[in-house]
Amino acid sequence: MTLRAAAGDPRASTGRSGRGEWFAGYAFIAVPMLLFLVLNIGSIVYSAYISVFQWNIRSGATGFLGLKNYQTALGDPTFHRAIQNSIYYAVIWVPLTMAVGLFLAVLVNQRLRGRTFFRAAYYFPAIASSAAVTILWIFLAAPDGFFNAVRAALGLNPLFAFFGYPPNQNWIGDAATALNSVILLNAWTTSGTFMLFYLASLQTISREVYEAAAIDGAGSWQTFWRITFPLLRPGHYFVATVAVIGALQLFDQAAIAGGPNGDPANALMTVVLYLYNQAFTRFDFDYAAAIGLILFAIIMTLTLIQRRVFGSAPTW
Amino acid sequence: MRRSLLALGASIAVIAGACSGGGTPAPSTGGPAGSAGAPSAEASGGASAGASETTTSAAPSFDSSAVTGTVKLSGWQSSDAEKKALQDTIAAFEAQNSRIKVDYSVVAGDYPTVMATNFSSKNVPDLFYVDAAFGQTWADQGFLQPLDDYIAASGFDVSTFYPGYIQPFKGSDGKTYGLPKDGNTIGMAYNTADVTTAPTSLDQLSTTAQGLKGKDNLKAPMCLNASLDRGLAFIYANGGAIVSDDGKSNMVNTPETTQAVQGYLDLFKNGLGMTASDMGDGWCGDSLGKKHAAVAFEGGWLDPAMSSTYPDVKYNWGTFPQGSSGQPSTISFTASYAIGADSQNKDQAWVLLQYLAGVDGMTKWTSGGVALPSRSDVPTPQGKDALVQQAANAKPGSGFMKGFTDVQDAFNKAFLTEVQKKSYQAGPVIQATSAAVDKALAGS
Amino acid sequence: MTDRVGSAGDARPVAPSGTASAGGSRGALVQAGPAVTGDVAVLPRARLDEVGTAVRVGDKRAHWRRRAAYAVMITYAVLMFTPFAWSLITSFKTQPDAVQLTFIPQPPTLDAWRYVFQNLDPSIFRLFANSAGIALAVTLTNLVLASIAGYAFARLRFPGRELLFLVVLATLMIPDQLRLVPVYLILNGFGLTRGPGQYLAVVLTMVIMGTNIFLMRQYFLSIPREIEEAARIDGASFFTTFSRVMLPLATPALAAVAILQFQGTWNAFFWPLIFLRDQSYFTVPIALTFFRGQGGFTTNYPPLMAVVVLSTVPVLILYIFFQRYFVEGIAASGVKG
Repeated sequence: MTLRAAAGDPRASTGRSGRGEWFAGYAFIAVPMLLFLVLNIGSIVYSAYISVFQWNIRSGATGFLGLKNYQTALGDPTFHRAIQNSIYYAVIWVPLTMAVGLFLAVLVNQRLRGRTFFRAAYYFPAIASSAAVTILWIFLAAPDGFFNAVRAALGLNPLFAFFGYPPNQNWIGDAATALNSVILLNAWTTSGTFMLFYLASLQTISREVYEAAAIDGAGSWQTFWRITFPLLRPGHYFVATVAVIGALQLFDQAAIAGGPNGDPANALMTVVLYLYNQAFTRFDFDYAAAIGLILFAIIMTLTLIQRRVFGSAPTW
Repeated sequence: MRRSLLALGASIAVIAGACSGGGTPAPSTGGPAGSAGAPSAEASGGASAGASETTTSAAPSFDSSAVTGTVKLSGWQSSDAEKKALQDTIAAFEAQNSRIKVDYSVVAGDYPTVMATNFSSKNVPDLFYVDAAFGQTWADQGFLQPLDDYIAASGFDVSTFYPGYIQPFKGSDGKTYGLPKDGNTIGMAYNTADVTTAPTSLDQLSTTAQGLKGKDNLKAPMCLNASLDRGLAFIYANGGAIVSDDGKSNMVNTPETTQAVQGYLDLFKNGLGMTASDMGDGWCGDSLGKKHAAVAFEGGWLDPAMSSTYPDVKYNWGTFPQGSSGQPSTISFTASYAIGADSQNKDQAWVLLQYLAGVDGMTKWTSGGVALPSRSDVPTPQGKDALVQQAANAKPGSGFMKGFTDVQDAFNKAFLTEVQKKSYQAGPVIQATSAAVDKALAGS
Repeated sequence: MTDRVGSAGDARPVAPSGTASAGGSRGALVQAGPAVTGDVAVLPRARLDEVGTAVRVGDKRAHWRRRAAYAVMITYAVLMFTPFAWSLITSFKTQPDAVQLTFIPQPPTLDAWRYVFQNLDPSIFRLFANSAGIALAVTLTNLVLASIAGYAFARLRFPGRELLFLVVLATLMIPDQLRLVPVYLILNGFGLTRGPGQYLAVVLTMVIMGTNIFLMRQYFLSIPREIEEAARIDGASFFTTFSRVMLPLATPALAAVAILQFQGTWNAFFWPLIFLRDQSYFTVPIALTFFRGQGGFTTNYPPLMAVVVLSTVPVLILYIFFQRYFVEGIAASGVKG
């Protein structure tokens, strides 16, 4: 649809848009928005609807429950454990992976030879599929797996024994160490991604800043903490938000390592896995929907809090 | 919608086919067809599907030979051997009954999960596996077709099924929703190189295990599951139970059950048994095969796994050892075939089901060595005497009460925690399980 | 959300940072500095060479610091690669040897590989075909839809634009699992849960991702308006301006979207798990989990590791050749508007 008549109109500079532009705009976004509304936003609404009824997956709604599911969730010990696990995971994994990511970014940002290679190496674990990586990790963490064999060969067993870990410790099968193993697994894979985010953020700090610091006699450690770190605030904000949201949605690795029941003994039960579990092993879809909405509320709240705390961080 | 048009088309085709064959019209959905004065139904057409048929003038009868179409058969698959055995059985069925085609597909991934999505969309296979663990749940939620009418109309003989095997497939309304396709009891498999005489009591078992400690590079004398799916056998052996026989009262808090649970925990505590996972194995069959353990408590599924993966390991079967109850006992696991409530080909599915759960089909299936019969009139496959003779004394190992999965879950989690934390106290296990049982009984 | 942040799905993470300011900031894909007409190149390497710490050349302390830095970097690189290297080595071992700490298989054997190529059901070729087909389809749809929507959000003015963009960002925060039941029911209503429709169902769940729209919008925002205005003044329609003028300029962003989306879809786990029911429709990650669970490979590590290696090879190749796009795509998705 040509808008020849409007061609002469200096719309671009005055900002007055015509109907043609409206039409084009809506037309261009129509398909994605339709899909989002149906399969994304609409599904939240549908989930909310499901959660207030007793839902038989074959015959649909069979009774109005009101907020009973939410009440049940509040008193459900497995749900509590799931929340506990998710929070523990977020609290440990987020700072750990951010720190490692930042560390790697600083390393790779230096003017050293081969740093493109190193950057590639550090990001590499992130490109494999969660299934492949988790299964690989399970293999490495098995009682007779690589990790135990290496620490035995290096003579580190007494050290581990001091902390209560026998030579054939089943890292993923033991309820005490399962979640920590998954934390390490995900720290290993995701630190590369965070490194890239931090790298981009580091790029925006101009050289003059460092040169000024050097002239003032600041050591590199001081430079980092007093100058670089604070200047990375938009990076921290971004990475932290992404990390927390991702942490609360932990599913793949927990499901592959622990199965839908969060074995061993609920150690790997995350909120999202619990949702899946309730929906497909208990067939309790309405309860599952309620859990999903609670999780959604948590994520939204956290995001809003983060925005408040970090404020409108300056653009990079 | 497209689907209902398809169903309508299928119905017309079936009816047309039936009419042209001179038999009785048979609608493709709903219950068995009424016979419009065709007393010699079984004489017409080819062989019927292995089950006996009687037509009485009073009750409606089901004419298997008049049914044509396709049956979508589905289930999980735990081994290649099982796949072969099933395919052989299906081929035998199709040879015997050329009017019905069987379309078999495996459900991969988590079976209940996948089936749930099927049920929700009413897009179900016609005939599928239902494990005892969720038989009652699925029946009560309306996913399965009640079979009583079909059974009556075909005169299918259900009396020879082992009672423990058919019980998990009765819904709360007392109707039958599935027929056990096979069944397995838990027996004691022991490596004949390490264990010369099979212990017959739990005390003897402990003594034997004690003597095996440290022998031959074993990681542990026995491979044990830290869960109810084996622990229950130990509980029954000692006279304990989870619920009373009528399923109404909580029996977890009794001294017998407590002692039984403590005894099972003590096996772990004293180093007489270890979980497969801690030995670096996927299951106790691997542990037995890799010689990490000398004794494993498994069912008939062990044999094909051992012969294909560990053919050099010589082992024997013994019945589950007796405990303080003084009676032989064990637990059984079974799965049934059930017809989907929303299936479009129920009659066809019933024909196939009669074969598979009948004497002929079951004989063929169990001869593949992957499963044991659930009927006493099917001959015992070779070498499985110990396992089959226990069937009469076996109580269901799963699905024997409403809300069983939650009870099992509570037990498993508490028990595993005791084992992994090395505290080995029966108290918390009893407590957690009892609470779950109370909750389950209250909910029904 | 992305595999890379330890959760389900295959989208890349984007901060829900709200609306972009009108001027827009430059993405990492664009050179910072005065706009160069028509020459919006990918970030030249010089920019990436920024020094992060002050290093005094010739300073002895700096020399040792450099040595230390290399040591640390190499150690960490080894740590990154070791698990994969171990999986490769294990794939050449026999099963009993797989649990030994032998860096050279004793004896080395191709049995596992032979098994994988000959005896797997579904065959490895079928698995790759499934994965590739779905990945290509999803990548294509994302490219088309994200670029056109991204352009609209960046450059076209229409009422409610900011609100609608918020909707796009909001979708990034909805966990896949929450949508599971409704999405399944909806897609099933269209008959997409049986037969080949299963492929379509999987594609539909990933057909357009909010992160890609975000990325394309970021990029378009950084293209100077003059180019566009010139085209419009010449009488081009909105669509022509988009397809003939803006799209060719956005090649770096398109490349990033394509590569990242292909990789993400190749690795996708959740939706294929739900929709691809028939064994012959499995994608590689689903098959991996299946083989480990029901397929009986639980502790039969060599063939399992062989499949792990194979599943990583295509993405690895993509990564080696197009590393730049991975890096810049990820970085760009992190830039706030």
